[in-house]
Amino acid sequence: MNRYSFLTKLQPTSLRMKFVLPIAILLIVTIFGFSMYLTKQQSDGFHRELETSGEAILRMFSRSVESGVLFGSKYDIEDAMNILTPFSNIKYAEVINAENEILAQTGEWNDSLITFKSKVQELENNQDHKYNNNYYALDSHGEEFLVVQYPVFYAEKKLSRENLGLTGGLDTRSNDNAEIIGNVKIVFSLEHVNSSIANARNTAFFLSLLISIFSIIILTFFVRVIISPIKKMVDATTLISRGNLEQQINVSRNDEIGKLAKSFNTMVSSLKSSRSEIEDYNKTLEEKIIERTVELEDAQAQLIQSEKLGAIGQLAAGVAHELNNPLGGILGYAQFTLEKLKKRDIDSTTQKDLTSYTKYLTDIEKQARRCKNIVQNLLRFSRSSKNTEFADVDINSVIQDTCTFVEHQLHMKQMTLKINLDEHLPNIQANAGQLQQVFTNLIINAMHASQTDSEIEISTRFSPPLGEFDGAVEISCIDNGSGIASENLKKIFEPFFTTKDVGKGTGLGLSVSYGIIKEHGGEIKVDSEIGKGTIFTIIIPLQKSREDSDTSNSEYINNFDNN
Amino acid sequence: MDKKTILVVDDEEVIREFLTEVLSEDFSVSTATDGDEAIEQLTLKQFDLVITDMKMERVQGEEVVKFTKETYPTSEVIVISGYSSLYSVGQTVNSGAFAFLSKPFSIKELISTVNKAVGY
Repeated sequence: MNRYSFLTKLQPTSLRMKFVLPIAILLIVTIFGFSMYLTKQQSDGFHRELETSGEAILRMFSRSVESGVLFGSKYDIEDAMNILTPFSNIKYAEVINAENEILAQTGEWNDSLITFKSKVQELENNQDHKYNNNYYALDSHGEEFLVVQYPVFYAEKKLSRENLGLTGGLDTRSNDNAEIIGNVKIVFSLEHVNSSIANARNTAFFLSLLISIFSIIILTFFVRVIISPIKKMVDATTLISRGNLEQQINVSRNDEIGKLAKSFNTMVSSLKSSRSEIEDYNKTLEEKIIERTVELEDAQAQLIQSEKLGAIGQLAAGVAHELNNPLGGILGYAQFTLEKLKKRDIDSTTQKDLTSYTKYLTDIEKQARRCKNIVQNLLRFSRSSKNTEFADVDINSVIQDTCTFVEHQLHMKQMTLKINLDEHLPNIQANAGQLQQVFTNLIINAMHASQTDSEIEISTRFSPPLGEFDGAVEISCIDNGSGIASENLKKIFEPFFTTKDVGKGTGLGLSVSYGIIKEHGGEIKVDSEIGKGTIFTIIIPLQKSREDSDTSNSEYINNFDNN
Repeated sequence: MDKKTILVVDDEEVIREFLTEVLSEDFSVSTATDGDEAIEQLTLKQFDLVITDMKMERVQGEEVVKFTKETYPTSEVIVISGYSSLYSVGQTVNSGAFAFLSKPFSIKELISTVNKAVGY
């Protein structure tokens, strides 16, 4: 038994205590009350017996000394006193005459040394109550005594009808016409009576104790018989509540508790089967969730990729122009050099010609490099979004790369792109390709919102560290275009939300951008006024660029209403 | 007979240099880096032929074509562009240009178009 169940047993709220305690108290009170009542009765009986016998002895004694007192014969009186000898409990006896002179006495007694305790109740049918002067008293040692007194009568013997036919005579003699000639007094010690009472009381007490203990043991046993299956059920329920459904209660009884245990067992097994069903279902659900998550992640990656390809499509013109210019130079110079070489012999080649050829070839090389850079830039941009590599990135150069693509597109609309870069911008941990996608998207959006001849500004700014803030890189894209209606401001980061004409926008650009910036641990804010323009601000913190990205990945779709 | 004059307008240095290199044997070639500069030069004197890029900063090629044809109806304009589409070709011809050359073009293509434009 561990400490816990021990405490449970003692708890006043436990069923055991609720049963045992009141019944035990009731039993003990009843048993002891009854035994006390019996003891009292017995004690009263002892007293009454003493009083009755005392009175009888006293009267007999009174008659015996009648002639002695009448004639003042001490010898007669002492002779009469001999009848008291068998009574061992007589402490003291005395005979006095009418003049209060002690005629005879036995034992020791001093009225002044005792205390009055209680008057003796008159016996029923006692016709001599007027002479009744009996009382209990205590001496200085606390010993109890019964003091009985009775007058000594002298009466001429008269014959009466009653006396003739009866043998007794003494008791039927009336004192009515008698003359009191003295008084007798007997003191009985109650030692014997009290020790009998004490014996009786002790016996009663021990018997009561025995009966109480026995009844409590029986009671406990019965309560245990009733409660132990309940306790088993409580223990089983506790275990079940902790998730252990292997519990069955072994109660082989046909009463209510047996039925309760049976239905409890049934309940547990049905609970067990439903739980295993739920667990199975959960397992499948988890598998399904993992499956769906993978699918979703793939879909997201695809989404980013297609949005990116869409952006490339929009930039195709710019890219083509970018490539065609250096290609024009390459093709031209190559052909030009070939033509010149065809016309001349190697021998007749002058120093001047060689200088020209060198210049042409240098130009060709330079332009070819330019083409290579453009293609590399394009590849970097279109690289699969599954590539989540983070590296040390210079945001300024990412913006410059981006501008190379979009600049031509802007020129075609006679828009100017103002680039305002903070030279002291620190490098951050980022995915350059993804950020380029975001910047491209912002600039293309600005371009679509702006009128011909307007200006779009893209700028970077460094917010230096301050206190717990580790510092951040801020990128703003400002246009003075049509602006975004306030009711649309909350929706612009939602997937497939677009205000552009059908076919012009996928409605994915900003939601994909939002996801990318979240993955960088940053945020993207928008501030817009209809007819005046829009400012998009991206803030990417310096230290935490990568750490939060794993959790933010899943917020891709769900978290668009934050802005 | 004096060499015929050609004004090459392109914001790409390599294109300007290349055209100058190719054409300066037979023509007197001037260059301008954008439409604005081209119009400045055109206000000073007439060129027999203007070869202009379409998409440039500030003033665009269309403006150059328009200005040239309005000011000197006898002068011809050839438009060159890295971004060719049916739309841009049509637009060029509508604006009064003599021809449209799509970058990158071959020297043969260039010389023959230029010769046709100046009437050789």
